[in-house]
Amino acid sequence: MSATTNFTRFVEVGRVVLLNDGPFSGRIAVIAEIIDQNRAIIDGPNTDVPRQSYPFKHLTLTGLKLTGLPRGAGSGIIKKVSEKEALLEKWDKSSWAQKREATKKRRALTDFERFTVLVQKKQRRDVVRKAVAKA
Amino acid sequence: MARSKEIVPGVGRLSRSQVFAKRGLFKGQKTNPTPAAQTPAEFVEKTVGGDKNGGKRLVPVAKAPRFYPAEDVRQPKKSRKAPKPAGLRASITPGTVLILLAGRFRGKRVVFLKQLDSGLLLVTGPYKVNGVPLRRVNQAYVIATSTKIDVASLKLDEKFNDSYFAKAPSKQSVSAEEEFFSEGAPKSKEAYPATKAADQKEVDKAVIAAIKGTELLGKYLKASWGLSKGQFPHILAF
Amino acid sequence: MTFSEYQVVGRHLPTENEPTPKIYRMRIFAPNEVVAKSRFWYFLRQLKKVKKASGEILGVNVIHEKRPLQVKNFGIWIRYDSRSGTHNMYKEFRELSRTDAVKALYQDMAARHRARFRSIHILRVVEIKKTEDIRRPYIKQLITPKLKFPLPHRIPKIRSTFIAHRPSTI
Repeated sequence: MSATTNFTRFVEVGRVVLLNDGPFSGRIAVIAEIIDQNRAIIDGPNTDVPRQSYPFKHLTLTGLKLTGLPRGAGSGIIKKVSEKEALLEKWDKSSWAQKREATKKRRALTDFERFTVLVQKKQRRDVVRKAVAKA
Repeated sequence: MARSKEIVPGVGRLSRSQVFAKRGLFKGQKTNPTPAAQTPAEFVEKTVGGDKNGGKRLVPVAKAPRFYPAEDVRQPKKSRKAPKPAGLRASITPGTVLILLAGRFRGKRVVFLKQLDSGLLLVTGPYKVNGVPLRRVNQAYVIATSTKIDVASLKLDEKFNDSYFAKAPSKQSVSAEEEFFSEGAPKSKEAYPATKAADQKEVDKAVIAAIKGTELLGKYLKASWGLSKGQFPHILAF
Repeated sequence: MTFSEYQVVGRHLPTENEPTPKIYRMRIFAPNEVVAKSRFWYFLRQLKKVKKASGEILGVNVIHEKRPLQVKNFGIWIRYDSRSGTHNMYKEFRELSRTDAVKALYQDMAARHRARFRSIHILRVVEIKKTEDIRRPYIKQLITPKLKFPLPHRIPKIRSTFIAHRPSTI
């Protein structure tokens, strides 16, 4: 890899990925080993994702990475390192994860709750508008 | 047909009367105690003039039609099946807020009261909240939401059945001529029956009391429902 | 089609001259047991004077992968009948199991040479233990230490025909 690359996220051992497809879609996992250009072994001992081969097509690379993970690291090491580096907390704090959480919550709202949100947004707008007019 | 085994396709071993005897359906048959009413005579004897006409003649009471259809038209079989009323969806219980999808009040959110014998749902706006009166709706044209209003205190009168909502027999209609000449004049509108207005108030009282208990619920029922961009009803949670 | 590795054991039927015939064992990659037995007779017929009518199968077992979650490099030797002649080949695969490697081999042969299952004989499947024994560059590039590469030009799934902004493909 040349030093002048524009890429910041790489497929590499220790890279945290977000699964987009399959029964574990929506959870994060860690790349334990690269199989080839199209697949890697991922493992998510903290998120209940079993160790398995996963195509890159069905996952997204995140900006997070576990440091010092050896190639083909087992579930035990991955669990230990990710706990030490507070991986889940870092992920939950990221705006990406929070946005996903918010979308999920909004999708699950019932009709009455959606209406309540609509009314409350109106009220907030009203307060802001009045404050801006005064200033 | 099992009793009458076929000799060749279409021809049974037993005759029609033999099958009837074997099936023994007559055993359960009841004979009518009252004999059939005297059939009216088909012919009437009439005197006719003229020497060579014999003086009298039998004339049929009902004249035979002058024309017959050239081909026999098959009479369609009468079905004895009657449709059963639909069962109530599990998501609909008394007090459930429903969204009406068809009819004059489409888009309105209403409160479900009970299912009538015909399978139609009895709903109310309440009238004071969103203008929907006590009304019957088909549950196929309704979205059930998960919002429930506590209507346990409401005791629905037995009179709210399907006949309650039946159309009143129309008054003596105005003759066509009279209607034609009264064109332009405002048609006299019939007043809404006072008893029905009272019934509406009586039923809505408990429902409105329950609605008052929850914040924004009255506003919610008053607002009408619709889909905006990017919303798909099969994905939405109600 | 998924493959399994079968161990098929068979022999010639005992005769008066030969009351205890030699027992033969073969490891065969096949989609199911029926095909595995059929391939056993196909190969045994070519190698020994035994055929299905005069022989019997003593047992068929599935051989499972010992570590199905460990990435291994496999070397496969094959014999393959092309449209113009017979060739021997050696190919390498990086997979999780022997059966996966064989599946990848059949796909690869079908893609590059339009070869069917019937025209390929698998001679040997060997796991390459030492990295210096790897011969093919396309496998060598994957075993470089500290391997890392980006995923360029990722195209997100877009449902609508028209969108306000071009998708970011990085």
